[in-house]
Amino acid sequence: MRIPRRLLLASAALAAMLGLSAGPVAAQDNTMVLAMVTTPRGFDPDIWVPGQIESAVNVYEGLTRFGMRAGPDGRQVVDPARIEPHLAESWTVSDDGKDYVFRIRPGMLSPFGNELTSADVVWTFEKSNAQRRTGVFIRNVARIETVEAVSRYEVRFRLRDANRIFLSVLTLHIPALFDSTEAKRHATAEDPFATRWLSANTAGFGAYHVQSVQAGQQAVFVRNPGYQLGQPHFARIIWREVPSPATRVALVRSGQVHYAEQIPLQQIVDLRRDRRVRVESVAAPGSATVRMNPRVAPFDDERVRRAVAHATDYAAIGEAVFLGVGTRSRSMLNPPIPGAIDAYTFETDYDRARQLLAEAGHPNGLDLTLEYSTNWWWEEPLALQMQASLARAGIRVTPRRIPATEMTARRAINVWSLPFMTHLTSSFVPDPSYNMFLTAHSRGGSNVNGNNNAELDRLIDESIVERDDTRWTELVAQAQRVQADSATFVETFLPGTHEVFVSCIEGFVWQPHNRLVWKNLACRR
Amino acid sequence: MSIRGFLLRRLLVAGPVALGILFVTFMLVRIGDQDPVAMLAGPMADAPMLARIRAELMLDQPVLTQFWAYLGRLVQGDLGRSWQGNAPVTHEILAHLPATLELVTLAVGLGTLIGVPIGLYAAERPNGTFDQLSRFGSLFGFSLPTYWLGLMAIFIFFYLLDWAPAPMGRVSMLVEAPPTITGSVLLDSILTGNWAAARSAVSQLILPVGCFTIIATAPIIKHTRAIAIEVMGSDYIRYARACGFPRRVVRRIALRAALVPVITFVGSEFTSLLAAASLIEFIFAWGGLGHWGLNAILLGDFAAVQGYVLTLAVASVIIFVLVDLAVLLLEPRAQARA
Repeated sequence: MRIPRRLLLASAALAAMLGLSAGPVAAQDNTMVLAMVTTPRGFDPDIWVPGQIESAVNVYEGLTRFGMRAGPDGRQVVDPARIEPHLAESWTVSDDGKDYVFRIRPGMLSPFGNELTSADVVWTFEKSNAQRRTGVFIRNVARIETVEAVSRYEVRFRLRDANRIFLSVLTLHIPALFDSTEAKRHATAEDPFATRWLSANTAGFGAYHVQSVQAGQQAVFVRNPGYQLGQPHFARIIWREVPSPATRVALVRSGQVHYAEQIPLQQIVDLRRDRRVRVESVAAPGSATVRMNPRVAPFDDERVRRAVAHATDYAAIGEAVFLGVGTRSRSMLNPPIPGAIDAYTFETDYDRARQLLAEAGHPNGLDLTLEYSTNWWWEEPLALQMQASLARAGIRVTPRRIPATEMTARRAINVWSLPFMTHLTSSFVPDPSYNMFLTAHSRGGSNVNGNNNAELDRLIDESIVERDDTRWTELVAQAQRVQADSATFVETFLPGTHEVFVSCIEGFVWQPHNRLVWKNLACRR
Repeated sequence: MSIRGFLLRRLLVAGPVALGILFVTFMLVRIGDQDPVAMLAGPMADAPMLARIRAELMLDQPVLTQFWAYLGRLVQGDLGRSWQGNAPVTHEILAHLPATLELVTLAVGLGTLIGVPIGLYAAERPNGTFDQLSRFGSLFGFSLPTYWLGLMAIFIFFYLLDWAPAPMGRVSMLVEAPPTITGSVLLDSILTGNWAAARSAVSQLILPVGCFTIIATAPIIKHTRAIAIEVMGSDYIRYARACGFPRRVVRRIALRAALVPVITFVGSEFTSLLAAASLIEFIFAWGGLGHWGLNAILLGDFAAVQGYVLTLAVASVIIFVLVDLAVLLLEPRAQARA
């Protein structure tokens, strides 16, 4: 149908008169607008709620940070093998590796004007201890025994065992370094660590702090005027809640926002062709896996697990699920995690799969239920692709979608009631021992499939405390091979991180926590 | 019986209905395998941490004990704490409800203003050209998926033509939002004389309200037409025509007769759209109660789901009481029965 030209002009004039179209908001200098899935529902890094990590990494910074190096294309990338001082200016370590003394950089100010001191560090760990949430888990993983103030600017960490994870853990936003002077002003007898106040406000020493939040609408962050480690380009961050991915795409394409979060891969492929948009893709080490619970039949038989690994059509998954932009996962550790090797050697081989099934007593195949949730966009297509490819080896799979909360509950430690499931292997800390412990050790916090391999546990435990580099590299490699051979994880692809910006945005650097760091970004037209 | 007595009787019936809805919702959210503890504790939680949070939320208690404790808090106005919003459920509902009410009231209001005259006019000449067109329009409105309609509206009017503002909430981020009085950005802007915010609120409302109005108008046209055809065929209308009354007088008589069932239908339409607002709110980033409730269901936020369903139940009761009052005022027979 042809729309009369006069009608179009008249409608446009009416729209302009009403001021309906306000022009690209993203054109404003020094303000960055983000289209996010949800507004932050809290800011205390110890209590996980939607949107918390995305904001906390910009508000709370660590005593240490990962070093940088030039990447293959000349751009700066994170070097997970190198830890540098950050809010601390230096540290010393005892000969037995159990005693660290950090010297805090003087003059590090919170937005409230208070200087970071050893008392803040001690208070932070006391708070995490009292809450007994995520901070305590991190503390236990890093084997931190005590934290004590030595002087105004010196703080001592005493570890139960010397370990390689400790310095990496101090790069994290959790346990966060709080401005305890400000937080204590909001403490009460019932809430001595001001957890209520800290869940709705921020008090860190990072580049930004929250100015206002309207639930379901927007949050505004402003630059911390006391931040001393570089001046961020954007003085103000407007975080708008835009739950629909299609709307987020329309907004970033039209220049109304600088950044759109969590865009589906199909859209990423399209957006790469759009000149108004910059897509930054990184082969982040998070791996899309299909996991089998070795405590539950028929997966208690290694031959069945190996049959599943051989009956998986990796090429089809790469094309149909990850649209040719994923990277094949070759181990439970993947680059840039140091020590990652190509340990996972399973390739598609239906004859071998059928042979293994027959040897395991299933000559007529198997009936399995593969459970998945909607935590990640790729779970459903992956489950369907697994159904199609496993059928060729006589394994009849029924994919079953379950709510994310059910998935989280049923894969919890010591519950392990999911025999066969999809799962993303990922962590905040690119340390091999930490990653292996978290995901594959029988006591690991993300051991969602009930891994129970005694030899693997031993190798991981040894790698955590091993101080000799050669021996440590050997242990890490051996642990990866043992895990790959046990075939409790079908390693498929690394979906990668794909961040979508308007074309003027520069400075994106992927961080191991896989969240956007605003202080690195600038708009250059 | 006086109007006060009528209202009292209605509220006495509404109490047990709300309690029943509450009980069913309370049980339903706990029947599945959803576990808010795992979500609340985060991905790094260990078993003691999970047990501690479970005890804090009383989820380690028998379900009837939990319900009894919930009722105890409810009578004190405490709907519990939403873990996804990290705030009391009452605060969350009060923060999100006005946005949905603003959207649904405008859409149903416009839908009624458009749908009732069209339905009445179409009923005057059944199967005539106007009737055929109105039926086609109504069918069109019924057939359009809300989600698709919203996305197409954004694509055409915002993305292609650049006539509409960015679909990012209820007021432009370039405008200072008014202080909260009623919770409706439009009303609050007008009440505080913030005309820039009022203009922005109107422009932000156009697309979502437009889409929702299309959805709301279709059934109103259909029902008004059906009711009006029945009225037009009644003995008293035939008598009025036989007496030679002018067409406008006959229309007025027909409208009055059709008004009661139409008002009843519009009331039920309001309550069903209140519950169905989540998709439009999702697409237009509206931040309303529907999207909040949907998130609560998906995330297993028990207290929030219960609060959401209770709010819808209370809203339905209020709307039906208002509808009954309107009928009472308009319909002499109803007054006599009361």
